[in-house]
Amino acid sequence: MKCARCLLQLQGLRLQGLQLQGLQLQGLQLQGLRLQGLQLQGLQLQGLQLQGLQLQGLQLQGLQGQSARSAAQRGALLQSSSQPHMLRNTQHQVIRRFHRSPINDKNQPIPAEFIDEDDNKKDKSLVIHDDLFEQVARETKTKATFNKVVEVFIKQDVRRRGHVEFIYAALQKMPEFGVERDLAVYNKLLDVFPKEQECGVQLLEQMEGYGIMPDVDTKVLLIQIFGVKGHPVRKYQRILYWFPKFKHTNPYPIPKNLPEDPVDLARFSLARIADDRDAKVTVYQLPCTDITESGEEITLPHVVGIQSPSQMELLAQHNPSRPVFVEGPFPLWLRDQCVYYYVLRADPVPPEEKVEEPYDPERSLAYPLQLDLDLDRDLGDEESFDVEDLDEGAVFAMCMTSQGDQAVLNQWVSGLQQNNPILGRVPTLFRLEQGPRELQGAHKTKSDHQHRPDPQTQREEEEEDEVSVEESRGEARR
Amino acid sequence: MSLPKLARLPSARLLTSVLPHHQLLLPPLSPLTIPCRTKIQRDYRRPGQPIENKYPLNFNFSKGIEGIKKHFTLMKDEFFGRWVGPEGKPLIEHILEQNLVIWEFRGPESLEQWTVSSDQEIGGQSEAHLKMGRNDNTCFLHGKLSSTIPRDGETRYSGYCNMRSKTPKASFDRKKHYDWSSFNTLHLRVRGDGRPWMINIATETYFSHQKDDIYNYFLYTRGGPYWQEVKIPFSKFFLSHRGRIQDSQHPIWLDKVNTIGFTLGDKADGHFQLEVDFVAVSKDYAHTEEFAYEMYERNPKRERIE
Repeated sequence: MKCARCLLQLQGLRLQGLQLQGLQLQGLQLQGLRLQGLQLQGLQLQGLQLQGLQLQGLQLQGLQGQSARSAAQRGALLQSSSQPHMLRNTQHQVIRRFHRSPINDKNQPIPAEFIDEDDNKKDKSLVIHDDLFEQVARETKTKATFNKVVEVFIKQDVRRRGHVEFIYAALQKMPEFGVERDLAVYNKLLDVFPKEQECGVQLLEQMEGYGIMPDVDTKVLLIQIFGVKGHPVRKYQRILYWFPKFKHTNPYPIPKNLPEDPVDLARFSLARIADDRDAKVTVYQLPCTDITESGEEITLPHVVGIQSPSQMELLAQHNPSRPVFVEGPFPLWLRDQCVYYYVLRADPVPPEEKVEEPYDPERSLAYPLQLDLDLDRDLGDEESFDVEDLDEGAVFAMCMTSQGDQAVLNQWVSGLQQNNPILGRVPTLFRLEQGPRELQGAHKTKSDHQHRPDPQTQREEEEEDEVSVEESRGEARR
Repeated sequence: MSLPKLARLPSARLLTSVLPHHQLLLPPLSPLTIPCRTKIQRDYRRPGQPIENKYPLNFNFSKGIEGIKKHFTLMKDEFFGRWVGPEGKPLIEHILEQNLVIWEFRGPESLEQWTVSSDQEIGGQSEAHLKMGRNDNTCFLHGKLSSTIPRDGETRYSGYCNMRSKTPKASFDRKKHYDWSSFNTLHLRVRGDGRPWMINIATETYFSHQKDDIYNYFLYTRGGPYWQEVKIPFSKFFLSHRGRIQDSQHPIWLDKVNTIGFTLGDKADGHFQLEVDFVAVSKDYAHTEEFAYEMYERNPKRERIE
């Protein structure tokens, strides 16, 4: 059939066993076309519009087209414009085909972006859902590539089956692509139209697990797909009921995006554990790399410390003959990352040495700090518990550093000494653990070090050999 | 269609507290007819696995004598305690009581009242251990969470650990319950590492379907070297069954409390630690809330008009 340079309109055309060579088509409009066993070679298409086209066993070689290229290369298209799925049935009346086994997929070409130029033999394999993800795995895994995969699936020929498996596979692959907290991606997955209620519930459950609040788009999609009384919509309603109730239950909330900079992270976590708004954070050393005389590069870790005025007072009252201990590292979990802090503390004072200083009434002029009232008329409220008070010794300061060895901590203590001169006279003992010191520079660790997890033992003799204890006097530090 | 399918799905084990395991040794001179309600408490049995070894019949004479002594002493205390007042305390003390310390960890024998479990029962790889803390004054729960899912084809989540108190026992191992009806706040003194825990309270139920009914609330730890006092009113506890929060909520009934537990399952792999100083209940007169959640019917059944 030769038809060149004229506006061709084909309606209700049936072509069987057609061979076209060197065909040029411009301004072609095809509606309701059925092509079986078509072979096109050296075809040029310009301004092609295809609507409701069905192609079976089509082989396109050396196809050149403009404005319809990518659609044609996928080998099957049902609609040139993207519209919501619910409207598709009414407007364009897709001709239903029988379910086909995936064996026929071998004859279908794989979309161009997934073919490696070097490895053309791969396109003979079955295109099942995991393969799609794995092929993208060769590229960088981003949200864009994830969306591309989903779009490919939507537009592929096998869209009447395998939705549910595809969605399950996509849900599993989400963390690898880093899109598990992205609501738009979940909505897009729902758009793939899973037909099983279980699948919808699973998708919502994954959203719930990551703490993502669904959208009104999700609700509309769920109602359209599953109906108002179905399980997914019920689950959506439960999420929308319970999540707001529990959103602000944390009295010590952690911001969603923690600071990346180690110094800022140390500031935030030290302010969190100090539990005192008057506490001051001081950065004793910023992380930097130094080059020594011999030309070696040394990375200096950051050292950030915190001390509050009440801690300074306690330290000033400390008996200089008793030692103070630098203990650590203790773990602090911020959502899913663990940072370590070190503590400067002293042993509890034995009762005979305790001095009860009377309250200075001039400390607070607004209200009395001590009330000595004897209210015999009322039974009164018993606020305290009948439990012996734990006396654990005062904590004088805390610090955070990425490299927790003695030299760095010494630096911290000498920095503290500027504000607390008593540290010059007090012996300092170091009780450091072996484990986390190996995790230098990586404060974001899901660590599994084997250190004994009780960091605050005081009298465990058998642990002495693990602990490095060194006594250093204040004068030596200067 | 999908409802029976959903029922077959494995339950999310993230929030489920497991039953206490406790191999009970029956003293040989105890009554031979064991009432059917007192079941022998075994290790956790994964649903679907057969029950093995019904009665551990090990006869040990000295243990038997100790058992006799213990149970008869308990019985005597109970008998004479009734004449003193409710729960062995004078009535005026019971009425005016505002703070009651239920568990305080002074000495290693206090650890016997607690059971520690982790997801190793379902094949996971988390560990949890309980020991005394510094100066034998606190309990120290530590271990390592790992959320690698056990490969048995049905488990979907993993990575939890749990510390649960044992059900209190009267003489001859009869079940006893805590009566906290005159209190309205749970008061804890803990020192954690910043991880969010969950407190589970299990009460005595009547129907077997209610066996896994647990009232939960969150315990957020701040981390750091300082102790943290946590006060949670009982009106905040919500009902959940097998880890799934229920639609129809009601306030917890405090007159027959069986166990309290702490669970960690926050999907952050790694080590964890929690120190508990004491667990107490108190009556806060300033707290007047009865229940924090709405109790209207969530799925009302409308009458069909034929």
